[in-house]
Formats: sequence, structure tokens, C-alpha cells
Amino acid sequence: MNRLNHLDTLKIRPDESVTIEYLGKPFQGAAGDTIATLLYGGGVRIFGRSLKYHRPRGLYSLNGECSNTLMAVDGEPNVRGETTEARNGMVVEPQNVKGDPARDLMGFMDKLSPVLPAGFYYKMFHKPASLWPKAIKGIRKAAGLGKISPHFTMKGSFDEIYLNADVCVIGGGPAGMAAALAASQAGLRVILLESRPWLGGFFDYRPGLYDRGRSLADRVETDPNIRVFTRTSVIGSYTDNLITAFCRGDGSDAFDERYLEIRAKSVVTSTGCIERPLLFAHNERPGVMQISCAHRLIRTWGILPGTSAVFSIGDDLGLEAALDLADLGMEIQCVADVREDGQNEALADRLAEKGIPLFRGWVAAASDGDPKVKRVSLTAINGVRSREFECDLIVAGAGQTPVTGPLTLAGAKQRFDRRTGFFLPVDLPRKMHAAGRMLGYIDPDAIEASGDLAGVKAAADCNGADDSKIREAEERLGDLQGPARGTKFIIGPVKTGKTFICFDEDTTVKNVDQAIAGGFDVPELIKRFTAAGTGPGQGGIPGHNLPLYVGLTGQSPDLDPRPTTVRPPLTPTLIAAYAGSNHDMSKRTPMHEEQVKAGGRMERVGVWHRARRFGDDAAAAAEIENVRNNVGILDASTLGKFRIFGPDVLKALDRVYVGSMSRVKSDRMLYSAMCNEDGCIIDDGVLVKRGENDYYFTTSTGRAGSSAEWIRYHTRYENWDFHIVNLTDAFGVINLAGPNARKTLEKVADADLSNDAFPFMGYREFSIKEIPVRAMRLGFVGELSFELHVASSWMPALWKIIEEAGAEFGIRHFGLEAQNVLRMEKGHLIIGSESEQRTTLHDVGLGFLWHKEKREADTVGAAALRHTENQEGRLKLVGIEAQDPQQTPRDGSIIVDEKIRGYVATARYSRTLEKSVGMALVESELADIGTQLEIFEGEKDDERLAATVVPMPFYDPEGRRLRM
Amino acid sequence: MLKKPSATAKPLWKKAPFKSSYDAVIIGGGLHGLATAYFLARDHGMTNIAVIEKRYIGFGGAGRNTAIVRANQRTQENVPLYKEALELWPVLTRELDFNLMFYNCGNLNLAHSDAALKAMRTNVATARFHGVQSRVVDPKECKELVPALDISERPRYPIFGGMYHPPGGIVRHDAVVWGLAKGATAKGIHIHQGTEVTGIGVSNGKVVSVETDKGKIATNRVLNAAGGYSAALSWNLLGMKLPISVLTIQAMVTQPLKPLLHHVVSSGAYHCYANQTLKGEIATGSHMDPWPNYTTQTTARYIKHQAEALIEMMPCLSGIKFMRTWGGLADMTPDMAPIMDGNHPHEGYYLDCGWGYFGFKSSTVTGKYMAQYMATGQCPEILAPFALRRFQEHRLMGETAALVNYTPDN
Amino acid sequence: MALTITCPICGARNGYEFRYGGEEKGPKPDEAALRSPEAWCDYIHFNRCKAGAQEEWWFHRDGCGAWFTIHRDTVTNREIPGKEAGI
Repeated sequence: MNRLNHLDTLKIRPDESVTIEYLGKPFQGAAGDTIATLLYGGGVRIFGRSLKYHRPRGLYSLNGECSNTLMAVDGEPNVRGETTEARNGMVVEPQNVKGDPARDLMGFMDKLSPVLPAGFYYKMFHKPASLWPKAIKGIRKAAGLGKISPHFTMKGSFDEIYLNADVCVIGGGPAGMAAALAASQAGLRVILLESRPWLGGFFDYRPGLYDRGRSLADRVETDPNIRVFTRTSVIGSYTDNLITAFCRGDGSDAFDERYLEIRAKSVVTSTGCIERPLLFAHNERPGVMQISCAHRLIRTWGILPGTSAVFSIGDDLGLEAALDLADLGMEIQCVADVREDGQNEALADRLAEKGIPLFRGWVAAASDGDPKVKRVSLTAINGVRSREFECDLIVAGAGQTPVTGPLTLAGAKQRFDRRTGFFLPVDLPRKMHAAGRMLGYIDPDAIEASGDLAGVKAAADCNGADDSKIREAEERLGDLQGPARGTKFIIGPVKTGKTFICFDEDTTVKNVDQAIAGGFDVPELIKRFTAAGTGPGQGGIPGHNLPLYVGLTGQSPDLDPRPTTVRPPLTPTLIAAYAGSNHDMSKRTPMHEEQVKAGGRMERVGVWHRARRFGDDAAAAAEIENVRNNVGILDASTLGKFRIFGPDVLKALDRVYVGSMSRVKSDRMLYSAMCNEDGCIIDDGVLVKRGENDYYFTTSTGRAGSSAEWIRYHTRYENWDFHIVNLTDAFGVINLAGPNARKTLEKVADADLSNDAFPFMGYREFSIKEIPVRAMRLGFVGELSFELHVASSWMPALWKIIEEAGAEFGIRHFGLEAQNVLRMEKGHLIIGSESEQRTTLHDVGLGFLWHKEKREADTVGAAALRHTENQEGRLKLVGIEAQDPQQTPRDGSIIVDEKIRGYVATARYSRTLEKSVGMALVESELADIGTQLEIFEGEKDDERLAATVVPMPFYDPEGRRLRM
Repeated sequence: MLKKPSATAKPLWKKAPFKSSYDAVIIGGGLHGLATAYFLARDHGMTNIAVIEKRYIGFGGAGRNTAIVRANQRTQENVPLYKEALELWPVLTRELDFNLMFYNCGNLNLAHSDAALKAMRTNVATARFHGVQSRVVDPKECKELVPALDISERPRYPIFGGMYHPPGGIVRHDAVVWGLAKGATAKGIHIHQGTEVTGIGVSNGKVVSVETDKGKIATNRVLNAAGGYSAALSWNLLGMKLPISVLTIQAMVTQPLKPLLHHVVSSGAYHCYANQTLKGEIATGSHMDPWPNYTTQTTARYIKHQAEALIEMMPCLSGIKFMRTWGGLADMTPDMAPIMDGNHPHEGYYLDCGWGYFGFKSSTVTGKYMAQYMATGQCPEILAPFALRRFQEHRLMGETAALVNYTPDN
Repeated sequence: MALTITCPICGARNGYEFRYGGEEKGPKPDEAALRSPEAWCDYIHFNRCKAGAQEEWWFHRDGCGAWFTIHRDTVTNREIPGKEAGI
């Protein structure tokens, strides 16, 4: 490998070698190489094949605007070779090709391009109709670039950090560094983001400016107020100065990629420019590259991009690059400059000195060679004369394009500026500033002064405006050279259809013409119809050429065509990087580990992990039987638990509960429900009075998170004096249920638990082995039950005490499935299981809970409850029994005749009752006891199960067992 | 087989002069508006019709959705409509002579709990009751259908099973816009792009005109099919409020890949779906920030959430890259079912809105029946359940069993 | 987009700490006034869906637990001081 290792601008470490494998062979480069520069240095010229026509593609840019250097690295597809640092041992493969892209078997696709006009998919393959399914297979196979295995496992470590800063500067070139320094001098905390591994930007590859860039970078890097993130690409920018980015690890970092989310008081965008691609026939043939690509290859990586080059450029940077490359040993046959005049004459003179002809008002018309460039034809822009040159490199550029993504994402608009030829960012969001080359500045002093001004303005955003400082900075900038005149949009005479406006999608200028002729006459529609700008590089290549070209054609109703919308991420970003460490924000009860040890099968229920069952039996038969015959213990800690208190507490409770809350006593629970304004039941639970204007109540697990906001919402216009405290996480709950529950508890409690002293629906507070508990006699599962509420920290101790006490009575765990069957047998409903979004309190048969007379309370849902009280044709909750006990309808099956008439909510074979029973929502006409129902499961064709509407509850209808 | 196209492509749709009178005016050059126009001409011989579009056709939801089609909804009011919609894609491809690219890959919906499986059984039974193929599958079959799925116990939400719906798939959404515009203009309908409706004239309880920034149009029928903007329009032009909340919904695509997903796969628990377009991109959504806005802008929070969800479901996706994310408007109703109504509050005023994020899959069939409604003045039976009246009658449609989070009423 | 909301108690905070609570429609009419289904539906379900500045309710869910109203431009998603909103 011959590199120009003497250059002081190099960013590689020549004596530190890096070896990667490409197409099964080792390639060696130096530390600091990207995959693409390493391979280019090793002689690789063709990196892949294009999406549609399988055209060979080579190194065109080093900024990642196109998919030319997308490769598979260690099984990961679509890695940008030109921006990804090479690491020892990487296995790199080209994409969309079998074997070496220099010899692609699908290359014949390119010959088909004349018969594949823009949008050809829409006009082909659908006649006859039978052709289409076959065509799909072919299209799918041909489409796509990278390949990933469904069994691929991502290696590496990914995480995220959330940062706050006063000023966030995007882009570590001269303007960004000047802005950061200005903000730092105002005493502010600055974050500076730069996508390359080093700071310097526009200065770092240019011989006369390298040192100046380096000294700026030294100041920035040693400034304690500035936190520099290199290798960090900004991917998102949102209103209120929220910036997202990802940072690639340098190999020694603890992460491979890290997601950053930054909130800043002010943002400076100094992202500079990319080059606008020159449009000419075969303008993407390997051997055609952008000016900065050629210049950086030699200055940054020490690689001579070719042996004999022709330049077709449109600004002084092109002249400068030609001179520098010539100085460093490349043969340059000539430079075509689309400008007829206006060149920097000093540069032009130096070219003349070197004997390099400068053709003013000339431009490349076509490249030739297969697969690589061998020849170029140049033409005068007036089309009169043309000349051909043999060469292996065409350095081509049509001027500059500002990188405005971070601004437009946050809401800035773009307006075409005649002087610079740029779509300049205008109407910037508040506290966002633009600086540097993206505004058209080209003079190094002006670039820095523009950054300084942005930094001063950003400081004013944070510290309050200091107009004099802003004015001084403005004056400094005003004294310098203003934005440079940009390069005119020129396209040579197009003789073939192969002038590519978008490389990723193989979209040609001709395709754009076809789209416009077809009626797609604004850039957004052309983009959709021709796919230009929808590939991996998004708008990088066609972004500004497309609106400029559309404007040139004069065919658009939009006289001032704008670029299509730039969308995040600004750089394609690994899903792994976005996911980061992927936190699971779920909750566990204090008894989680204990239940897992006991064989509990834990499931996610809302935010919680809960035990569905213990052991393998999905029906939980033994658990059910044990609750019916002995005693079971259930962790019900996820129940919502609240204290509500204050002088106006009763008014608040009456507002949200359907019952009359003045009936709540201190020793007796009241069961009640909440409805929404539509009269639909949303929650049920019990309340107890613990003191004057001081109540304790429970909600369902699902409502625990929203009950406080619900109560406050419905009292928001009142100036009522009450407070609500969510105790859900502070208290655990043990549900002890079964005929032996009292015997178990009596052994350890310091209270009289007899039925007389502590009856059904009673509430008591006592101690169990000195642990204070709030005890409720409830009967959700239909047996003698005690619900014990205890401070979460006491839960494990209390659980152990009760388990030990119950051992002699056959105590064992039960889980949600057992509870589900037990309560269903008892006819108790679970909201959300037996009710839908549209199910009212009346529909589930709980209308009796509604205290109609308390009109002054304006109870939530009362108006709707009144409207619907006797409404016909609603779905009502009923009990059902399957005709064949062995054929239990599945939950969710439907009740039908000629139409669907209802839904089976929950149904089980009940071992206790030896029949299959369940609950269903059926149309009111079918809700009478004794009605025969047909149930359709949709499992087997047309099979219908027979069932009958029966009274509920199925189990212990007199309710003796829970009153024992 | 392949013919060389003519050098000058013919315009797909014709530009037309702006007239001062039409038999009907359709507000919104999206899918619902264009489809209604097409069917008014096709089925009812009404061709003196203007479609008024403020931006360009397909600017709104028509061009921003992820193009999934299916007929496995929950209720008997919806399934027949969507079933007919599925059957229409090949018919329209032929009629319009435009390939709508219906890719009939089938949809797999994942269940991560017993409750979700129960909900799927309802949908499967409802589908099969209406002769629509759909079935409940176990985790093993889920994995066979979508090998990238992780069916182990490891993920946050392990897979309990799924609902596989073979008749569904994806359609090229832009093609439907363009095909319908082609078909409608070929029949003589006028499409006016870049034209904004500024008023609706009413006299004696009847619509008499539509005002636009290009001039006034005399007409006695107007359809509000303005998608995300339909509720604001109704309020601004007629002072008519609707039970709608307009939210921005987001979706995204990855870089293009060789075939990896052969079906649409979705999961309620992760709030996530993914399918691979014919171009090879994995299209995935969808999230709505639960507060009204017309920004159509994306959020940092959502793209991160989507990444987390996707790699829990399909860990191999961690190795690919998001390429583009975008937003569109979803006009959500309290029961997640649309509003189709007519002659209310004024004779000649028709509404086709509240389609939320499911307006694409139904667009063509809705156009067919809204056309019938507008042509005859009589509500077709299939649309009757979608009347606005249902909200005041406390008869929300059972399309969602769960409570929605964008209205305060839950 | 991002959303910043100013809680009267906690100050300007990340919008995801809050829950949206609907357009400000004034106190709910009493039950008698809601007897007609039209009036009930108008208050409970109907919205103006304004594209522009509106007054609306928010709840500081991951914060102090207050309900309060702000003015916000639904087109830009930005909070605006009430006076500027012209409401």
C-alpha cells in the first residue's frame, strides 16, 4: 500500500496497521481508515451494485450521501463503508451481488432500463391478473440491498445518556467551534457534536487552513465548559431544542453505540455543506467522485485517488483541489469549470503555471468505460464544442448544498436564495441559530465570525440579551466577505437516459421528465413516483438537484419548487442504538420472589408481574379445589389503594362513585362502582371510613394509576378541600380464602375473628404478631375470605406467619387463573373481562348500585345512566350453561343466530359444579333465563355449541359460604 | 412481454378548468374523496363533480399510511365493509388499468396474554361467521410464519399465540391515489389541486354552494372527506362540532433489505406492527401522542420506543437501520369507528370522517357506498351503523374493547 | 415535535410528564341541563378540533397531580401565554 505518509493533515496512524477481510481476502490499511478508504487504498474500485439496474458503484463521497459503499459487516447489512472506521478482523462483504461486484451476473438489468420507465411498476405486471403474484416474487427478490438472517444476533453494547446543556452546537467545523468558544466565554455549559472522529470540518483537509483548524480545535478541546462528542451524528432535532444523536464508540469506549438525547436552552447549527452532484451521462460510474472526496482521500488518508484525472467543477474549491492534487503528484489533464468567469484568478493563474488547461464555461457531458471510467467527454455549456479525454478519474461537482436538516426538522423553512443558489434556512425556530458555510460563507474569517455571532446570540438566549455584544459580533461579520456567489444549476445536453439524479434508486433525469409528463409535477410527487430520494441516502444526492431541475423545466405549477421534506433520522441509525439498554419499566410485588420459588408462573398484567398459576396445570384445578375445601393464599398487592380525606371528601366521593357515600361506615365496607360520562362501568371496589372525613378505598389493578387523576379531573372546577394519596405501592394485600381461613388467622391474630365480631363485609384493624393490618371480610371467590392490607415492608413476614399457621389446614398458593374460575362460579365480574368499553352499569346488572336521588352530586355518568336505564337492544351480562358439560365454549367466542348476538366473556368447566358455566354479554332480547343460545367459536367449520341462559351465581347462590 | 414505452408519457390525470357549478363537490383529494368521485361516475353516471384539494392529491393520510389491508375487525358492522374492500383491489386494478400492487401476504397478529387470545377468538369467530378466513395459531406456528420472532420466555411480552389472517396484506398506497385520480378524470371528473375550501353556503337548510380561494361553486351536494382536517373544517365552515380528536400518528421505514418478513406482523402489547414493502423496507408503526395536534411531526420518544419494541419481538432487527420516519393525522372517535353520515345538519352535507388510522384499508369500498348515499340521498344499509347519532344514543361501536386514552372520558 | 408544558406548581417540564384532559368547555352543565341527548353529547363528546390556539386541560401525572389549563397552538404544538393566544 503506497500512502503519502508524510502529509501533516493525515488522520490515519500509518504505523498501526488494521486488517479486514473482504470477499474472503485480507486487506490491510492503517488505524483511522474507514472501511472504504482501506479498501480503496487496497485497490478496490467497485464497492457494490445499484438497487435497480445493478450498475457498478464506486467511491463517490466520503460523507454518506448515497448507498454506493453500503456493505455487510460481520453479518450486519447496509453499513456505510465510507463513514465506518475499519477495525481488525471485520468481515466485509459487498451487497446486492453474488461474489465480486466487479463481475455481477445481474448486470444485464442495466440493459433493461429503457423499458423500465419511471413508475413502471404501476403500469406493468397486472395484465393478466395471474401474472401479478408471480411478478411479486421476482420483485421482492430483486428489491432490497442488504440481507439479514432472521437468526442474526447483534453483538456489542448499546446504551443511552440524557444530557442538559445551555448551548448545543451541531457541527465541529470552524463555525461550530467559534460558536462553542463564544458561548463558553459567556460562562455557559456547551455541548459540541461532531460526526467525524475529529474536529476541524471545512479546514481540516485544506493545506492552508489545516493549522488554523487544529488550533481552534485545541482551544475547544481544552475548554472546561465545552463537552465535545466526536463520532457523534445528530439524527433528530425537535421543537424546544431537543436534539438526538448517536455516538460510535472509539474501540476503547464501554459502548459500541450510544444514543444521546440533549435538551439545550439554545442550539447552534453549523453543519456546513455537502456537494451538489454534477448531472451528466453516467455521472455515477466508478471513477467519478466528488471534489472533497478526492481531496480528502489524499489529505486525510494519504491515498492518491487516481493516476490521471479530469475535473469538472463549479467553484473555487474545485480549482483549489485540482492544484493541491497536482502538487501531490496526480496528473490532471484539464479542469472544466461551468463558470464562464468569476474564478479566483490567483488559482487560475497557478493552474496555468502548472500547465493545466482551464476550460471556462465547460462541463462534463458523459463518462465512458466499463465498468470503470476510461474516458470523459466535456462540452461547452453552449453546446457548440466538445472534447474527449482518456482518464481513470473524473472529479465532478456542481457546487455546494447546505446541510439544513437539524433546522428544518425543528420547523425552519427553506427559501431559494439567488446569490448563493442555496435553499437557505429561514424562519428559524426560536433559540435556534445557523452559522458558517451553510449560510454561504466561504471566507475562513467570515465562517468563524459567523460562528462567533451565533455563539453570542445563543449566549443571549441563556443569559438574557446583551444587544451590544450581538451588535459587535454582527459588525465583525459585516466587515468580512459576505456569502459567496453560488454555482449556477447547469445540466449538459443529455444524450442518454443515464444521467442519474438519485443513485440509490437509479432515478435518471429522464425518469423525472417522464414523471412530470405524467402529471407528477411537484418535487414531493416526483419523489414518490420515481422513488428519487427514498433510498438509504435519502435526499443526500437528489435533495437539491431535484427542485432545481424541476424549476428549470418550468413544467411545475409550483414556480418556486422546494426540496422535499427531510425526515429523521438524519443519518440511518441502528435499531439497536435507538433501543439502547431497553429498560423494562415493570413492577413487582413484595411477594414476587416467594411466588416464583413456589412454582408461580409469572405474567405481565398491566405494569405488574403476577402469578397466573402454580405448577403446570393450565386449569389450576388443584388450586381451585383447595380454596373450595381448605384455604388458599393469594398475593393481591396490585389492587389500587387510596386514602382520601378533607372537609369536602364526601362531595368528591359522591361525584365519582355511583353509590351514596354518606352510607360508608367505619366498621363496614361499602361496595360501589365508578362510571364514565357514558354511564359505562370503569371501576369497582370497596370503601371504608377510617376517621372523620377520612376514607380508605380500593380500585381494580388497572385503575390504580389513574384514579387520583380521575377524581381530581371531575372536581377540577370545584374549590373543594380534599386530598388523595395513592397507597398502592405502600401497601401489600394478602387474600386468605377458603373454609379454613378463619382457623388459620385465629392462630396468629390478636382479635376476635368470629362471625359475630367480624362479619361479612366488615372492616377491622388489628395486629398479627405485632404487625398492624387492615382486614376486610370480602368474598370475591365465594368463600370465607379475609383481605389483609399491610405495609409493603411487612408483607414477606406476614405472608410467612400465615403460611406457617395455615400449614395444618392445607394452605397453598393460588393464582389468577384459579381466582378467575372461582369468582366466575360465584358470578362476580371483572371489569374489562365481563364488560366492554360500551358496557354500562345497567348492562352488567349493577344498576342497583346507583343512588339515583343524589342529583346534587352531579355524579359522573348519572345523565347517561338515566338515558340508558330502560334502553332496548343493549348487550346484557347473563349466566350461561353449556348443554354438553364437556364442550366448554372458549372465552371470546360469539353468540349467533343469523347475526352476531353476543359474546362469551368467561366460561369454564367447573369441577365444583360438574358443568360448564360462564358469563356472556347478549342482546337484551336473549337475556331471559332459559333462552337457548348458539355459540360459534370459529374453530371448526360452522360448528355451533348449544347453551342456555341460567341464573347467577352458579355457586352457592344463597351466599352462605362467604358469610360462614 | 416488455414493451418500450412511448417517448412522451401521457398524463395520468387531466387538468380541468374550474367551473362555477358542479353536481357535487368533494372536499379532500385523498383516498376517500377520490374513491367517492370515481364511484359516483362509475355507478351513478354523475360526472359533473369537482374534487377540491388544498395541497396535492394524496398529501394527507393517503400518502402517509403504511398500506396494510385486512378484514379481521371485531364487529359485524365493520367486517362486511372491509371484506368487500379486500375484494375490490383486484377489481380496481383491472378497471383502472393501474397496478395497485396488492401484495396478499396475510397478517399475523400476536397475543401476549390470555386476554389478548380471548379478544382474537372474538375476531376470528366474527371473521369466519362472515366467511372471512382467519384462525388462531399457536406460538410454534407464529414462528413458522415469521421466523424472526422470538417465541421464548425471554421477551418482555412472551408470545401466547396469534391470529393469522391470510386474505390481508399490503397495497401500494400511492398507486391507489393515482389510479383513482386516473379513473375519475377519465370519466370526466375535475380535480382541482392547490385549491382551498373557504366556505359552505347554506340556504333554507340546504347546501347551495361551496366557496374556494379560486371562486364560488354552486352545488347542492358536498362531501367532507378532508381526513385529519374534517372536524376543523366542519367547525369552521358550519359551526358543527364532531366527536373527534385529531392526533399525529407516526410510522417509519428501515433501509431496504432482501426478503425477511413474509407477512404483516403486529402486536397490541408492544403497540407495534411491521411489514416488508415490495421495495424491501421494513415499514413499522405506530404511535400517537395522546394529545391533539396538527403538526404531523415525529417525536424522539417514539422512534426509541419503536426500536425497543421491535427488538423484543424480533431480535434480528437490532442489526438494521431506521431510515425515515414521518407523521400524519388521525381523526380519532371515542369508539375507534368512523362517522359516515349525510343530510345532517343540512340537506346535501355529507360526512366521511373519523377514520383514525384505519382509513386506508376501507377507502375504496367507503367511496362506493358514500357515492350511493350522495347519489340517492338514502343511506345504504351497510353504512347505517356509522351514523353520528350513535354517540348521543350511547351506542358506541364495539370495535375497541379497551378504553381509549385520548379523550378525558375514561 | 417535542412538547414542553408549564405546570402552575412545577414550572416548565417535559410534556410526557402530563396527561391531556380535553378542550376547555367550562364546567359541566348540571344533570337537568344534560337531559337532552343532544346537549349531553355536545358537552361530553364533541370537540372544536381547532387548528390553532386553544385552551385545554392538562394533568401533571408524573409530578404534583394538579389539573390546570394552558393555551397551546395545535399546529405548532407550542404552549403560548394566554394573552398572546388572544383568548
